[in-house]
Amino acid sequence: MKLLVTAFWGLLSLLAPYGLAQTSAWHFPPTVQAGTAFSVLTSGSGPATLYVVGLGDALQRSVQLGQSIAFGSEDLRNAGHYVALLIAGTETQSAQFDVVASTQPAGLSFIAKPSRLPVNQVNGLSGVVYVLDAFRNLLVEPQRVTFELSDPSGATQSRVATTRNGVAWVKMNSATKAGASQFRASSGDTRVQRAVLNVPGEPCTVKMNSHGAGKRIVLETDPLRDCNGNAVPDGTIVTFTEVYGGQQTTVDVPLKRGVARTELLARSRAVISVASGVVVGNEIRVSGGQ
Amino acid sequence: MMKPNRTNWLRAACPILLAGLLVGADRPSVDLAIANTEGSRAVEKQTQNSVVRDYLAAWHAMGRAMAQNQPELLDAFFVGAAKDKLEETVRAQQNLGIQSAYQEQSHHLQIVFYSPEGLSIQLLDDVEYDVVIGKQGKTLGTQHVRTRYVAVLTPTESKWKVRIFQGGS
Amino acid sequence: MKTRGGGILALILAIATLGLITIGTIWPNQSASANPDSRATLVSGDSSAQDAVNGLLQKIGRHDWSAAYSGLANKADFSEVEFASDLTGNYGSLRTYALLDGFDVHPLRASADEAQFRANMRWASVVGTFEDSRDLKVVRKGDHWQVAWPLMKEARVPPQVIPVNYLRWDVINRGPQDDWGTQDVEAPHVRIVAMHPVDRGGGVVILGELLNEDVVPAFVTVKAALLGANGSTLATEDSFDKISHLLLPKQVSPFRIDFRNVRLSQVDSVHIQPSASLVSASADPVIGIESQKLNPVPDSSLTGELLNQSGQVVNVAHVIGTFYDGNGQIVWVADTYPSRALLPQTPVPFSIALPADVSSKVASYHVMTTTYRSGHAQ
Repeated sequence: MKLLVTAFWGLLSLLAPYGLAQTSAWHFPPTVQAGTAFSVLTSGSGPATLYVVGLGDALQRSVQLGQSIAFGSEDLRNAGHYVALLIAGTETQSAQFDVVASTQPAGLSFIAKPSRLPVNQVNGLSGVVYVLDAFRNLLVEPQRVTFELSDPSGATQSRVATTRNGVAWVKMNSATKAGASQFRASSGDTRVQRAVLNVPGEPCTVKMNSHGAGKRIVLETDPLRDCNGNAVPDGTIVTFTEVYGGQQTTVDVPLKRGVARTELLARSRAVISVASGVVVGNEIRVSGGQ
Repeated sequence: MMKPNRTNWLRAACPILLAGLLVGADRPSVDLAIANTEGSRAVEKQTQNSVVRDYLAAWHAMGRAMAQNQPELLDAFFVGAAKDKLEETVRAQQNLGIQSAYQEQSHHLQIVFYSPEGLSIQLLDDVEYDVVIGKQGKTLGTQHVRTRYVAVLTPTESKWKVRIFQGGS
Repeated sequence: MKTRGGGILALILAIATLGLITIGTIWPNQSASANPDSRATLVSGDSSAQDAVNGLLQKIGRHDWSAAYSGLANKADFSEVEFASDLTGNYGSLRTYALLDGFDVHPLRASADEAQFRANMRWASVVGTFEDSRDLKVVRKGDHWQVAWPLMKEARVPPQVIPVNYLRWDVINRGPQDDWGTQDVEAPHVRIVAMHPVDRGGGVVILGELLNEDVVPAFVTVKAALLGANGSTLATEDSFDKISHLLLPKQVSPFRIDFRNVRLSQVDSVHIQPSASLVSASADPVIGIESQKLNPVPDSSLTGELLNQSGQVVNVAHVIGTFYDGNGQIVWVADTYPSRALLPQTPVPFSIALPADVSSKVASYHVMTTTYRSGHAQ
């Protein structure tokens, strides 16, 4: 493929006009704002063709030398570096210019992560904002961005950051109370909001109780809560282990309605323990049993 | 910002030289610096390598797309606004019957931001390249360009893709 | 010269073959190992007790239940359907889709009218080979022998209602549109809580444990890279079947990653990359793992029984054991798949084989199960 491209351009070059000269002047502004109208003065006379090519757009226009070339607000909207060629017969004039983003924020790419995190995490939540103009160009000039995080209890944390190369970011603490937080970012008149779910942390303790049911022993935990008093969600796995006479029995039980419940065979001198994740709970010693 | 047209001699002298210039189009000189990212996430060596590799590959893909007017060549390395804008440019070139060839000469890259959650990384690229504009078998003009690009890349399943790609910054 | 040498070799081989055939005919071996290929015609008669056993097993290998059943000495005791179910299992278990890969038959005792053999059948399934060993009584009836099949009837679950508070997670993702920054559901947060590389069998084995510390179920994998002294990657592998890929909230899975052809002495560091994605899952069924017991060498293993405490049939269960030494460090991770389905409230035995050298180090262990139901995984 590289050879094809090379050959193509080699052929183009063979056919290219030789000995081009710049005989007339034109005055292209070095910088224009995206989506704004501007004009370029030319000198000389006669018809010419203007080409404006960059990685954001490509334009061609027939012009009369000696007159102004007018660009409308619709013409160049994508920020970038552009090359302009003005070709009249065998003469070519060239210029380079930059289209820069407009100064007014019109869109925010707001990445709030994670969208679900345990309560009470210091700097556990990050917010990153890329500030864009109405044409999805990055505003590289510094902009003020306000981040606000309101937690389920109604309290709000607020931070202000200034963009650098178009990006601003903060780290925030998660709420102490489980539930949904609203995480907002705003710059100028533009505001974007994300939802963040604060979930309970590790169970603070795991405590089980037992009562006999014939040859079986019924085990049930107290409702599991984290160290901030939030109920540990259903589905969390609690492991019951019964050790007896060189053998053991284990059951992984999901919390349902806040508690984990199972039945094990009551074996004489068995020791039953309970754990959830890395949190180890109490033990029960079976005195009678089978 | 007016720059002298310094490549007339090249066009006039020998088309083979231009062909040779473009042969080396995928081997620009590259250097990388890690700017002070002000407490944002540290950039691991593996991440640096893969970001630079994918960014340069994106330039190469962009060059082929612009030279051949094939927007689908962008799919593998661009995403979001960057992809949309480059595709628009290729379509505009198709409509006008022009092509543009980008021959990179050097990239001076700086990683200036790596987001805390690892979902975006920002590069500044002081790039130098020649752009050759052609139409219907004729070279319209060649320009040597020195400019700064700001690029934001985001991770996908297999590689980093360019999401913001903006020159003249 | 070459032609002449080849001719001599062919002659020697022909003589040796004829000799071996003669020896085998005159002094047949009392034990046999066979492949139950449908084209195999090693044994077709029942003129000896061994022939009868081999013939029966070959019919079983061909899934020719009718022919196998019709030749049984005790076919009056059960139906052909029960006979086939004994071998293939019910409820879509591993047995249902397994093929008889081979068998060994060993004589236990013999008299003029009765003999007993131990038949070890090797069944090939999607998760590897499992063995089914049966002691077969063979009786003479006139001039031929017939096998009395020791039918193992699968337990029947009595009609009942088992109340279950059903708990399930469903996931709705944001869709294919590319709207950067717009939130998607967060991937589950998982964490490696233990990791230990060991040198074993000329390779490196990474043993570890992974915790789902989130409040949602996670589909997990662990990828490991062994790095050399200069930072180069020596090898990369991922946990394949020595892990429970589905982790419920706060559940821990062991993992084992085997690297062959890399020595631990070559390894400078290990890069472990766990990954987790959010999946729809159910918290049921709950499986009790009862009567877990370590058995010493020579049959070093961990045995126990799975008890399905829910009301749903589990087609396939994967049992993974984590074994720790006296310091609480993982010394081995091994697994097994019981070949039968888990019926509600019905114990199903399992056995996890342990290497003899590991067995002596084990001070404690933890066993977990992953279950699969038709159209579901848990």
